[in-house]
Amino acid sequence: MATVIDIKGDHQEFKEEVETTDMALFVRTSDEAMLGWDRQRIVDALIRETYVDFDTAKEIAREVEDLIATSKIKMITAPLIRELVDTKLVERGLEQARKMHTRLGMPLYDVDQLILHPNKENANVPHGPEATNLTLAERIKKEYALLSVFSQEIADAHMRGDIHLHDLGFIDRPYCSGQSLEYIKRFGLSLPNSIAMAKPAKHPEVLLAHMVKFAAALQSHFAGAIGWDSINLFFAPYLVGMSDQELEQLAQMMIFEFSQQAVARGGQAIFTDLNLYWEIPKHFENVPAIGPGGEFTGKTYSDYLEESQRFAKALFDIYQEGDGSGRPFFFPKPLVHITEKFFKTPGHMDFLYHICDVASEKGNTYFVFDRGETAKISECCRLSFKLDQTDLEDAKQPWKMRYCALQNVTLNLPRIAYLAKGEDSKLFSKIAEFVQMAVKAHLEKKLFIEKLLSLGEKGPLALLAMERDGSPYLRMHRASFLVGMVGLNELVQIHTGQEMHQSKQAFKFGLKVIAHMKLLVDKFSQRYGMRFVLEQTPAESTAYRFAKLDLKFHSPKSGHIVKGDLSKGEVYYTNSTYLNNSAVLNPIERVRQEGLFHPLIEAGALTHIWLGEARPLKSSLANFVIKTFQLTQNDQVAFSPEFTTCNRCYRTSRGLRSSCVYCGSEDVDGITRITGYFTKVSSWNKGKIGELRNRYRNQTFLKEKEEGMALES
Amino acid sequence: MGLIKIFTKAKCPRCPAVKEIGTELKKEGVPVLNYDLDTIDGLAEASFYSILSTPSIVIEDEEEREVISWRGVVPTLQEVKRHLFRGIP
Ligand SMILES: [Zn+2]
Repeated sequence: MATVIDIKGDHQEFKEEVETTDMALFVRTSDEAMLGWDRQRIVDALIRETYVDFDTAKEIAREVEDLIATSKIKMITAPLIRELVDTKLVERGLEQARKMHTRLGMPLYDVDQLILHPNKENANVPHGPEATNLTLAERIKKEYALLSVFSQEIADAHMRGDIHLHDLGFIDRPYCSGQSLEYIKRFGLSLPNSIAMAKPAKHPEVLLAHMVKFAAALQSHFAGAIGWDSINLFFAPYLVGMSDQELEQLAQMMIFEFSQQAVARGGQAIFTDLNLYWEIPKHFENVPAIGPGGEFTGKTYSDYLEESQRFAKALFDIYQEGDGSGRPFFFPKPLVHITEKFFKTPGHMDFLYHICDVASEKGNTYFVFDRGETAKISECCRLSFKLDQTDLEDAKQPWKMRYCALQNVTLNLPRIAYLAKGEDSKLFSKIAEFVQMAVKAHLEKKLFIEKLLSLGEKGPLALLAMERDGSPYLRMHRASFLVGMVGLNELVQIHTGQEMHQSKQAFKFGLKVIAHMKLLVDKFSQRYGMRFVLEQTPAESTAYRFAKLDLKFHSPKSGHIVKGDLSKGEVYYTNSTYLNNSAVLNPIERVRQEGLFHPLIEAGALTHIWLGEARPLKSSLANFVIKTFQLTQNDQVAFSPEFTTCNRCYRTSRGLRSSCVYCGSEDVDGITRITGYFTKVSSWNKGKIGELRNRYRNQTFLKEKEEGMALES
Repeated sequence: MGLIKIFTKAKCPRCPAVKEIGTELKKEGVPVLNYDLDTIDGLAEASFYSILSTPSIVIEDEEEREVISWRGVVPTLQEVKRHLFRGIP
């Protein structure tokens, strides 16, 4: 939108007219109209947007007009007028008014760069016109959030890099959500503001279409992941009597639909999690099943075990094949829940081998461990929690099981250690201070979202306010507020002189820090009646951002602490509570040790096993998975192989290489997991590239074939 | 002889019984460490031993390796003693 003012005529004669405010200026306004110069517009804006009194506003307008008139500039932009007004506010010490009068926007140079070059903050966004639209919008909303949603204290803490407020560009949405397919099975697809309304689906293909549409609608209302609970089970009543071939086709459609959603918001794939069970989860056993047309089938979900299992198998058949050029599907992510009941359900070993085969071959499978007899569910952002009595009531009407995390705030743990200068008491009180800042940030965002939700189905969050089952779609009382962390390993290193894998004392000190944080979030949860939980932040760009900021503010100490290659600028902190990526550790020992943190961290706890080029036997992986379940507290494990995909012959080979093994072309892309998802290495930020170079790929352990991944108990 | 670690919480009905065992053993000269899971040190130590329920007791050898543990259950004093003094000449 052009906002250019051309100064017409000679500068001299125009100065004579200054007093009459009759300048021969034409103002191109943002609604693309040409207006004559009118000093009153400055006055109006000041009165409308700030608290300054009328006389001051008039005075400022006159001064600005005078400045423009006496200058020799031939052309002036509307943003410049605003800036000139702002300088007058600054001169008068009207700081608050200046803030309120701020113009949000971007320099021409930045927009130019943005349109021409890809954004590397989130590797899930391809470069294109839609993506640049998204980035432009995000920039403005980010500034808006920091100026208007959060207090100065919180905004400054973010800017300094004490904490990181995630997804500021999506300030007007909650963070991520967990869904139940039952909602659309029962209510069909009737979204606020949409023209066509669809009744509950009668056929599986239609149900899938509804799911995809609904996911796209949700993507435009949440910043992050959309998780679907027990998806194979909830599809099951629609699958009765289908042949293997038909099932396979449906599975293929589901995976392709969610992997091809790069046409959605900002060209960004929908970050989709499919939660899968081999058994009928205990809490759904006696729940009346909903089938075609949204009708109860008269049976319970226990009666659909066979269809549910067949569908799960079919999905993994598709994962095993990969996409057209043999690459792993980046989305949707399959999360298989390993429970006590899993091992009591016939056929589980065959299924385990199948999903381990996929894990070794393509890496897709996430193994989620739900130990003990208490029912647990996984929502978005890998947040899993025990179902309490009200959840178990909800489970009888599964469409009620909708969860969300409102926001994610991550603490820069190494920063705390630099500030504490080796003093224990200072360290622990600083941690408390930082957690408190995160809590304050959550309260501020919650207030803002509630304001938007209060506008109901006529407001901007209509979809989340809709009440199809008697309560709003977004259940605020069940929302979680995530407090994440980056660089526990470096905090321990700065404070004790050793990294966590280097000694038992150092490791135990790490546990103390997280125990402290856990007790703090519990205390705040009680105080505010909200659910604050610790999260292992995926920290795709945060680990890089914090490291860079600490190099600036805490040099030279930080120069010895940050991981990666300083000379290349490829620096990072170790993610969350992970052990050093390059530490040579038996994989099961890594899973065990990292798992000791998991009971303290309710959201997103996961251990990565980097496979590199290796392709372990499915029986080895199955053995590994069983032992992880039985002998550790680890919440979740994923195995990540690496691939090279050729842009010339479109074939994919194992390992990261600089040229194609088939045709020799150097036009190749590396593919592996960046944090919680697969993507092309060429899209990664420098920090993650640094991490990738350092990842210990378990070669020695994997070479030992059968015993290689075995647990030494 | 190793040492014994006792894990308790303030609001836990069976914890007093285990604390009792600790007091008895202390009188007999056994090194006893008490951990309250509502404190930082207590919760950290419990996490290190994967203690997810209270009361729990862990017996360690001289090298801080776990010899035996009772998790979420209350053993008798005799039982604890039997494991504590096993192998001691
Ligand atoms: Zn090739």
